[in-house]
Amino acid sequence: MSTAADRWIPSTCSICYGMCSIVGHVQNGVLVKIEGNPESAVGRGRLCGKGVSGIMTLYDPHRVNVPLRRTNPVKGIDADPGWKEISWEEALDEIVERLHKVRQDDPRKLFIQRTTTNTSIRAPFAVFAAAFGTPNSWAAGGGLHCGNGPHLVGGIFHASWSLVPDFEHCRYAIYFGASKGHGAGHVACTNIQDAADARARGMRLVVVDPMCNFASAKATEWVPIRPGTDAALALAMVNIIINELGVWDSDYLAQCTNAPYLIGPDGLYLRDSTTQAPLVWDEQRQGALPYDDPGVGALALEGEYNVGGLRCRPAFALLREHVRQFTPKWAAQITTIPEAAIRRLAHEFAAEAMIGSTIVLEGKRLPYRPVAAIFFRGVGGHKNSVYNCFAVELLNQVVGAADVVGGALGFNPVCYGHPETGKPWYEPRPGPDGLMVTGIWPAPHLPYPIPDPKSPETMGFTDLFPLAMFSPFMASRDQEEVWNHFDLPYRPEIMINCGANSLMSVGNSDTVAETLKRIPFIVAFELHLTEFSAFADIILPDTSYLESFDSRPNMPFIFNHPAGTGMWSWPIKQPIVEPTGQRRLAAEVLLEIADRLGIREEVNACYNTYFKLQSDWRLALNTRYTYQEICDRELKCNFGPERGLDWFREHGVITWPKRVEEVYWRPFVKVRVPIYWEFLAHLNKIAKPIAQSHGLNWDDAYYEPLPRWLPCPSHEISHSDYDLYGFYYRDTLHTNSFTMENPWLDEAARMDPFSYTIAINGATGRAKGLREGQAVWLESVTGRRVRGRIHLTETVHPECVGVGGCAGHWAATLPVARGKGVFFNQLLEIDWDHASPVNLNMDTCVKLRIVP
Amino acid sequence: MRYGMAIDLKRCVGCYGCQLSCKAEKGSPPGVFFARVIKREMGTFPNTQVIFLPLLCFHCAAAPCVEVCPTGASQYREGGVVAIDYDACVGCRACMQACPYGARYFNRDNRAYFADQCLTPYEMVRYSEQHQGVVMKCDFCMDRVNAGKDPACVANCPAKARTFGDLEDPASEVSRLIRERGGAPLEPELGTQPSVYYLPI
Repeated sequence: MSTAADRWIPSTCSICYGMCSIVGHVQNGVLVKIEGNPESAVGRGRLCGKGVSGIMTLYDPHRVNVPLRRTNPVKGIDADPGWKEISWEEALDEIVERLHKVRQDDPRKLFIQRTTTNTSIRAPFAVFAAAFGTPNSWAAGGGLHCGNGPHLVGGIFHASWSLVPDFEHCRYAIYFGASKGHGAGHVACTNIQDAADARARGMRLVVVDPMCNFASAKATEWVPIRPGTDAALALAMVNIIINELGVWDSDYLAQCTNAPYLIGPDGLYLRDSTTQAPLVWDEQRQGALPYDDPGVGALALEGEYNVGGLRCRPAFALLREHVRQFTPKWAAQITTIPEAAIRRLAHEFAAEAMIGSTIVLEGKRLPYRPVAAIFFRGVGGHKNSVYNCFAVELLNQVVGAADVVGGALGFNPVCYGHPETGKPWYEPRPGPDGLMVTGIWPAPHLPYPIPDPKSPETMGFTDLFPLAMFSPFMASRDQEEVWNHFDLPYRPEIMINCGANSLMSVGNSDTVAETLKRIPFIVAFELHLTEFSAFADIILPDTSYLESFDSRPNMPFIFNHPAGTGMWSWPIKQPIVEPTGQRRLAAEVLLEIADRLGIREEVNACYNTYFKLQSDWRLALNTRYTYQEICDRELKCNFGPERGLDWFREHGVITWPKRVEEVYWRPFVKVRVPIYWEFLAHLNKIAKPIAQSHGLNWDDAYYEPLPRWLPCPSHEISHSDYDLYGFYYRDTLHTNSFTMENPWLDEAARMDPFSYTIAINGATGRAKGLREGQAVWLESVTGRRVRGRIHLTETVHPECVGVGGCAGHWAATLPVARGKGVFFNQLLEIDWDHASPVNLNMDTCVKLRIVP
Repeated sequence: MRYGMAIDLKRCVGCYGCQLSCKAEKGSPPGVFFARVIKREMGTFPNTQVIFLPLLCFHCAAAPCVEVCPTGASQYREGGVVAIDYDACVGCRACMQACPYGARYFNRDNRAYFADQCLTPYEMVRYSEQHQGVVMKCDFCMDRVNAGKDPACVANCPAKARTFGDLEDPASEVSRLIRERGGAPLEPELGTQPSVYYLPI
């Protein structure tokens, strides 16, 4: 029974970006328990250890409660800012005055940084950045380490941020550096349930990973691999499947990919002289036709043809020829996986795909391909992330196991909306050359079509590298040098940060500190004073997720809504307790700042666009709205006038059933995906001269249309003293650096043998004379060092050390987190040499040695 | 009627959801874990196997803790639940010595989780329910069970690895799982007759 003094309030967890639905039990104004909300598909009433522990973050006595201003002008890692309490009025006066000057001068001088952890701040900060007129914003750290590869390739092939096996029907899944369903990440809690069901049902799971920890511990088979070499394994498997076994799904490839597109001697599409549409070879007519010609019949995937005097071959024929060089023997040397195992995995994947089979669901006969190749952070966290992910994805593509029953599913690329309103509605559509454009996407630009590279005007150079979502130049060692070379016409003068501890989340702290010191004025919305806060000028006390509003915690559904069949759920986030102290919701503060700056109209217009507000629910441009009013309008716009914020505050979530043509949308939506990335040649042609003329080293190898394995910097270090590959992994008990200050999670992590230690293979460690628990330094080739304690284990590849999470805080203001765990990121270089020349992904694998 | 639990090691992913949802249910102070998880590895690289082993009080039918308790505070309750009468417990900790599974914890003084600070508002509310100077342990969430709910660790487990019910009812889900999957208690040779069974990987 709910009374005013004893209530259960539905809301949303944000202790990670999974954003599961919760209910909070409040007694006399105190939150006494968090449980999962069984009414919602996001978590289905069950939470991970982090989710139930949020109370300890809410009531942390070390939270920031008042605005603060630094009194010490000297900024540095060890410099005491000399915080002085100020009023909100004083804080906003100074912030607005400075922002006003910068906006009049050049709005691009505003640099916006946010955490990846709490996705509720994505919309308000994206809207503010757009309204202010700055293109310079990023999610510090997390995005750079994983986002550019897996999310790009997920977007291009699945119209989604990420993918999972169809847990309900898949019979054989192979994970490459992924843990979907075994702990952390997008849709963590629901995936754990679904993966356990799949395991109980008998789905075989092969996990390719340098460490046997989460998914690998539960796998049918763990395949230890040298870090960053996944593309070599995947390409050898593709070679065996299509060249030795002769297995591929010709219907899928011909209808759903660009495999039949004819490629000329220059590596580019042959195009129709009138429409410029890529040509295909029609085997019935024995002639070339535009791919979209309504009369086109059986499309050739193989052979060589002469069209208008040019010799050409279908893209698939080129793929077959291209992968012949990737023999199992070659891959074995690179990956350390035995040749026989590579052959067996390829054979198993091809056989289990059951190409040609169908299944009837809800009266509809659908393709049934019960295999899935899944890639994520482990594959993506490298300089060669694009080819790594692309190569793994080709496994799904050649057997037609993409977004069909049993195969690799994007998270919800198609949604036809609530039955009463038809909203939210989105589906992929064909773009230039018939290739798929996502129906919805959380980042500023879509994975495809790809804008032409241009001389950079953004801090991160994402305009020169349009495949990149995040860029190391936002905080790199060579930032100033690169900006000078390219004559970037401005420098960041103000940073607004929300929750990101970029001093720890990007790479080594010395480099990030130098970039922060050059920014004259930094404002930070914070829950705690962190290592980053020491570089801020003004601290604004933020509300935690348990004190906040958000109308769209799981929107877009391609980000953190469960895939597969079942229910759609659109929950909200609302305060379970009222904010104490002078904490204020960042989204609300941004509205006030915008108003004071005189950009209310721009902000309202951007919210109309971002939230797709229509008809009566559009914001009038010159009216001042509260954030709750904007949330109310978004909800009413999607679910009708009777279901605004009040309705959602009472009910927490609206749910409706998924349709089979949403979940297994592939046969229903006529779009093609590129197994041959012809567009890279075009990008290279434009980007290369711009880059080279400004002094950037260039490597054409990253711009080829078909993937290959390219060594990362760590693979090319031959110095024999530096004999170990170091990597970090996401611990199930922690989210980035954020949760280290939560004492329940810290206590559990201290009981775990891995969370706060350096895991090293037992034989390797003993050969080095290392003892369990011994304190050592990890030292990179460049001399960067971190301290940690050894854990000898059989769960790590003999060439590797694995470190959990983003730990090792040193701020005195984080007394729980301080001194716990290992600050692995301190070993990472942040510069052009350690960034991918095609998508700017940072290399997060380090060659190192252990120094006692 | 005998309450019992089956923990499916095939489903468990070692996420600590049980350990922390128990803490959230009970509001237990630092160092007290009615539920916890240990990780064990077996074999040598590359033939490594990792086991996540969730632990709690096994509510033994022949419980050494009950036998050894000098005051009768540790006692069998309805359904075979082993519980502690905290008013009768004098904190001698003989039961902790006797329990072969390490399922019991001594709560000296309701310490604050933020060691340098006073109690949080949450702790002030939840610790008002706690006895100090006593031994504490899992009681199968009898308050929840009596209200028709599953124990907190069962209701919350993200992997649905836990099933709770009547071991003496052959038709119960927990009995069926133990029977069909060949569930077994930990270290049955100790003769304690636990009520918690593990289903094999």
